[in-house]
Amino acid sequence: MDQELLSDTFVDLADTMVADFDVIDFLHLLSDRSVQLLGASAAGVMLADPRGQLRLVAASSEAVRLLEVFQIEGEEGPCLETIRTGQPVIEPDLRHAQERWPRFTPAALQAGFTAVHALPMRLREQVLGGLNLFHDRPGPFDSADVRIGQALADTATIGLLHERSLRRAEVVGEQLQAALNSRVVIEQAKGKLAERRGLDMDTAFTALRRYARDNNLRLSDFAQTFIDSDPADFPGLTEPAHHRHRQ
Amino acid sequence: MPPGAEREVGGDDSSRVTRVWKLVSAQAASRRGRASVADVCAAAATSVDVSGAWVTAGDGINPGQAMCATDVVGESLAEVQITLGEGPCHDAAVSGAPVLAADLADGSGNEWAVFAEAAVRAGAAAVFAFPLRIGAIRVGVLGLYRDKEGPLDTLHLGNALILADIATMLLLDAEARQADDPLFGAPLASQSPGLAAHNAEIAQATGMLTEQLGVGIAEAFARLRAYAYAQDRRLSDIAHDIVTRRLRLEPDLPG
Repeated sequence: MDQELLSDTFVDLADTMVADFDVIDFLHLLSDRSVQLLGASAAGVMLADPRGQLRLVAASSEAVRLLEVFQIEGEEGPCLETIRTGQPVIEPDLRHAQERWPRFTPAALQAGFTAVHALPMRLREQVLGGLNLFHDRPGPFDSADVRIGQALADTATIGLLHERSLRRAEVVGEQLQAALNSRVVIEQAKGKLAERRGLDMDTAFTALRRYARDNNLRLSDFAQTFIDSDPADFPGLTEPAHHRHRQ
Repeated sequence: MPPGAEREVGGDDSSRVTRVWKLVSAQAASRRGRASVADVCAAAATSVDVSGAWVTAGDGINPGQAMCATDVVGESLAEVQITLGEGPCHDAAVSGAPVLAADLADGSGNEWAVFAEAAVRAGAAAVFAFPLRIGAIRVGVLGLYRDKEGPLDTLHLGNALILADIATMLLLDAEARQADDPLFGAPLASQSPGLAAHNAEIAQATGMLTEQLGVGIAEAFARLRAYAYAQDRRLSDIAHDIVTRRLRLEPDLPG
């Protein structure tokens, strides 16, 4: 465990939560740092939509997004299990988990993941979602890592409910939907930028996120503005990097 | 159920979405009409534990326009918010997130003192507002009211959200028909409202089409589904082909 990165992570997460908070940006920071801190290859955050389905809201890469979508569509997998039970689900060696998740396991192995680690995002009795960590080497997991992972998942829960008093039970439902709606706006903006610049979706996302940060804008607000505007209004974003001032 | 509704639905909420869609279709069938937001409102009254419902069309920037209501209470709740420019529906349209005011007389009405007083006088104790949107595409708000206070439980909240997805598609369909462009005649509501609203690749492909076709986001989405309909292929498959750059749409499709 990189102690310095760990303390930096909590400082960054706290910073993100203070000014110009954007829940999707926050959850992405969280999934990226989970990967770095816990020696995982990839991470994803899923939320339980009251419509009756899980929704992926953040992923450290497009490959994880596809695997998570597979988990949602296949109706089985570690994240579904952690959300159903409210308990962590740890599978240190997926090569022995064919029977546990007959559809998810082969897909995960094919994507290059051999161990998985799903942690619940709980608010009191309610399970709001889960943080999934994928590893490219079989476990077992360090118990300190598991505790840090759960601390990160709990931080994600707090971030999701940020700035809103929980006086009213309904606030949880409102915030979940706000996050899911923001996610869709950001996907639309990724598509627009990816097409404009000939980028893949991961790179488009990184560029949008960096632009929003550099200009002190909330990612979701900026994504909406970008969709509603002429892309030429954002030369720093929509022109290739070599045209721009080198930092 | 229109053809296509079943085949497009996937995932573990398929039976739930299908069930709610059937309620809406049954309302349309009972008045021998094409499914509309009025049927969504009628279905809400039977599937969400509320007394009545209404739909306001609008983009969240300009004042909305009341489209339909199940009763006079719903009608006045819609009108009073448009007139005052405040209330849960107004906030839902602006913020793009649901606003759930479970007890207008006690606490949850504080943010909109004038609206809350008018709503209680009209006979509403709780008001729930759901934005009608697919990401950046915003078309209106579904409003629900109950004559008794109290929150929506998770099941009813889920049904309300699915109804909002369906209402979104129906409003987009109605706009397409008004535009009278044969390209936009494909009934969207039959192509799984839940899937279209929550599939990342469909959202990405819609964003890509704004550039490929040089159009706004709402029109890009209309073109996407019109193409899927014309090809008799699933919206998600077309979106996948666009995202993986196997398919490009041309700006000057023959209309």
